[in-house]
Amino acid sequence: MKTISIKKRLVALAATAALVAGVTTSVPAQAADPACTTAASVTTCVGTTSDTAPYMFLTTPAFNGTVLVWSHGLRPNVDIPAGIPSYGGYKVTNTPEPAPGGDAKVIAALLGAGYGIAGSGFSRQGVNVQQAVATNVELIGVFKKQYPTTKKVVAWGASLGTLISQTLAEKNPTLVDAVALMCPATAPTEALTSYFGDFMWGFKTFFDPSIKGFGYSAGQAGYAEAMGDLVKFFTALAKLQAGLVSGAWPDTSSAAGKALEAKMIPSRSALTLIGLMAGVPMRSEHIDGTSGPVGSEQLFPLAIAPAVAVLENAGTVGLAEILLMSDAEAQSGGIVFDNTKTDYAARVDADRDVYTFALSGNDAINGMLGVLAATPKVTGSAAAIAKAKTLLSITGTVKHPTVMVTTESDQFTVAGAGQWMIDGYATQFAAEKAAAQKAYGKTKTYKAPVNNLVALWDKTATSYTKFTAAGTPDLTATAGKGAGHCKFTPDQYVAVAKMAANAANTGKFPSGGAVSTAARKVGLSADNKFRAPSFKSLG
Amino acid sequence: MNRRKLIPASAVIAAASLLLSAAPAQAAEQGVTASSIKLGITVPMTGIASPGYNKIPGAMKAYFDYVNANGGVNGRKINLVVKDDQYIPTLAVAKANELILKDKVFALVGTLGTASNKAIARSAQLSARGIPALFVNTGFSGFADKKAYPTTFSLLPSYQMEAKVIGKYLDENFKGKKVGLIYQDDDFGLDALNGFKQAKIEFDIKIPYASGSQAVAGVAGTWITKLQAAKPDVVVLFGVSSATAAALGNAFAYKYAPQWILGSVGGDPVTLAANKVPPAFLAGAKGFSFAPSPADATDEYIKMFMDVNTTYNKGVTFDNNIVAGMTSAFLTVQAIKAAGPNLTRAGLIAAIEKSGATFANPSLTPFAYSATSHVGATGYWIGTYDATGSLKPDGGKYTVYTTDSGTGAVVTSTYKRPAMPAKGLPN
Repeated sequence: MKTISIKKRLVALAATAALVAGVTTSVPAQAADPACTTAASVTTCVGTTSDTAPYMFLTTPAFNGTVLVWSHGLRPNVDIPAGIPSYGGYKVTNTPEPAPGGDAKVIAALLGAGYGIAGSGFSRQGVNVQQAVATNVELIGVFKKQYPTTKKVVAWGASLGTLISQTLAEKNPTLVDAVALMCPATAPTEALTSYFGDFMWGFKTFFDPSIKGFGYSAGQAGYAEAMGDLVKFFTALAKLQAGLVSGAWPDTSSAAGKALEAKMIPSRSALTLIGLMAGVPMRSEHIDGTSGPVGSEQLFPLAIAPAVAVLENAGTVGLAEILLMSDAEAQSGGIVFDNTKTDYAARVDADRDVYTFALSGNDAINGMLGVLAATPKVTGSAAAIAKAKTLLSITGTVKHPTVMVTTESDQFTVAGAGQWMIDGYATQFAAEKAAAQKAYGKTKTYKAPVNNLVALWDKTATSYTKFTAAGTPDLTATAGKGAGHCKFTPDQYVAVAKMAANAANTGKFPSGGAVSTAARKVGLSADNKFRAPSFKSLG
Repeated sequence: MNRRKLIPASAVIAAASLLLSAAPAQAAEQGVTASSIKLGITVPMTGIASPGYNKIPGAMKAYFDYVNANGGVNGRKINLVVKDDQYIPTLAVAKANELILKDKVFALVGTLGTASNKAIARSAQLSARGIPALFVNTGFSGFADKKAYPTTFSLLPSYQMEAKVIGKYLDENFKGKKVGLIYQDDDFGLDALNGFKQAKIEFDIKIPYASGSQAVAGVAGTWITKLQAAKPDVVVLFGVSSATAAALGNAFAYKYAPQWILGSVGGDPVTLAANKVPPAFLAGAKGFSFAPSPADATDEYIKMFMDVNTTYNKGVTFDNNIVAGMTSAFLTVQAIKAAGPNLTRAGLIAAIEKSGATFANPSLTPFAYSATSHVGATGYWIGTYDATGSLKPDGGKYTVYTTDSGTGAVVTSTYKRPAMPAKGLPN
């Protein structure tokens, strides 16, 4: 099954943009009106908004009046040195992205269905929700001016882009008619900072206290610190991988970490504990948590698999922490993470039994928690924390038909974000129902609230880990379904886009059965009784 | 501002009551038709902890088949869907979700393992979904907490109760002797430690093992060498069958023979014998049970279970695990019968809370089900293994000790078990 991965996204973007328009390099610096060209019945318009954000929109003569405005996910706002996994060699780019990853199949399907598509590359990268929302507001205006027959606007996005789309809808309710959120990052700011911050704090506490992680300096010095952290982080991660079976700790480990090693507590147990206390999924793209190689069918999933899953997920979590935290701090003027009141023992209490072997038993767990309890915590800046909330501020209120697709074992935008939206909407819907009932008492006319949230799941398969002949998990095999960050297929993107666009036009979703069937056709689940774990910090 | 603060709780409650009032009076329950009831169980059928416990589903099926052959319960026949979780909690969650979402069972029954049951309750959202988890095969006292596990019902006496009874026995018979303990290092074992603490038992050596580690080559051998070095007079084995067998097997090999005391979970002699523990090596060891001995054919329940096993579970040796499985099934049938013809999950839970304490069942100890308690059996009788591996009650009769999971004393029970319903069918 083809998916659109982060790694391929930026490459695909540039290629697709060039393929479709061939003009990305000739975007006028501050053009008031877009420059449009038509080729093979596709009209491609490019331009920049007043904040210098480049944008692109595409239509066909069969434009049906509905435009889908795409907001892309995280692109670092700093160049990443070569050699760093996933993003090494990345140069900051604001190439416009009118559809997920610039995927040609998605673009062709949506244009073929008569929709217009639009998207920007935004004026800044990194934590850019405020700027991106402003860009999108302007972009919608430009599109409508170009196509006055536009009737409906769907705001859709992936990952960090979901915060942009949701904020756009919350703050500009009349501009948007429906929303689609792919691998939602929609969660309170403190939940997001806690997820990444808790992991990095635990990681540095055990494995390399020279990692800064928080409190980066301003300007170029801070950039150098962050890039240095990336190198240290991935170096320690590689050493943890090397010591998975032996239990050896990285030579950069703290004195407390080395003391744990002396007590025969393997490094994999400490890594597992960090993952659990932060809420990192215990399944990853190649580790299902239930399979074992021949001869170790039970011992591997009990003792080793959790650490391998955390290890595989950790690259994304650690990299994101360093990039997002340093950017958020730079924009907020101080440390935005605070764990002075966090009880990490309570965080893992319910997991201790489930992962007892992986954690090396209760004495080991207590020993590791003791180290964490004795380590000085990070004190955030109240002013910076308050400022950070304005950078990523959403209420989660659902005012428009909204389709949301959450991956059960997503290590970047964890499933707790989707669950937060679902729980919030349940409360919102109950209140709307109560209000309708109250109104009935006065008017004797009952107007039932309409369900505006369709929550779909990309559930993690029970079994998918492949093992090499040597009995080690094959981390190069095809990734498991429902694991990894935002690995949706073009068909899934198209199905969700169409579901949202239809709802934008009808004002409601079809019956649950129809939604379920449409979801199932593209490998998603509409199970409204499924529940993902909440963010650890939200309890 | 967070919108959640804007919505008063009263509004939510009002909305919930609206939903309730709008629900049809007899909504069809998942897994129930006019002629059938589908139940599900996930247990270790293979792997480290499977020895012995993998006989439980077959025993349950056998009793359900017997009931089905006699007309079913309230006209419905019971189907049991069995999943193998290998005693891996994460797999148990996956299997429970399969049972609920794919197989669409009405309820879970007899699911085995403390960690697995805790993980299932949390991850599969049993409480939020109102899915009954009947007569779970674990003695973790926490499952009796109705607030935390409102749809879960214990069957076994808690590990705390068992530890308190063992503690009383140790105090009365081995005061002043050195005592050792091997226990599973999770809530299973911690529950027992709490009970021993209540009983004021202090161990001279405690050997915790992480669940699953008993299968690692050499691990169980280290337990015995540690015990040999510490030289306790008495050793309590409080683990699953595979860990108990590993400890005894190594002890046999090392010719190490203190006074053994076997916890009920790992004390099935047939399972131990099948795992290379010679029955004669058990001779003189002490054991505990809440149900009659499987060797006691004079007991009407054991006799009936033996007959059912012979007919519906052909070729499977009758043992404690068969008794445990059939007891779960027997109670399940009683509960379904009590819930009446309009079977719902909520109705089933209410029926157990209302009259579960009086359900006919083989247990020699009283049950404590009520509107406020999901505690099952509440005590043990003490016995001694003979040279054939049979656990025989001390003094030639079942003297049952009952207690609670708190600070209550261990006292001799005066409970008189109700007579078995005719033919062992629900009444």
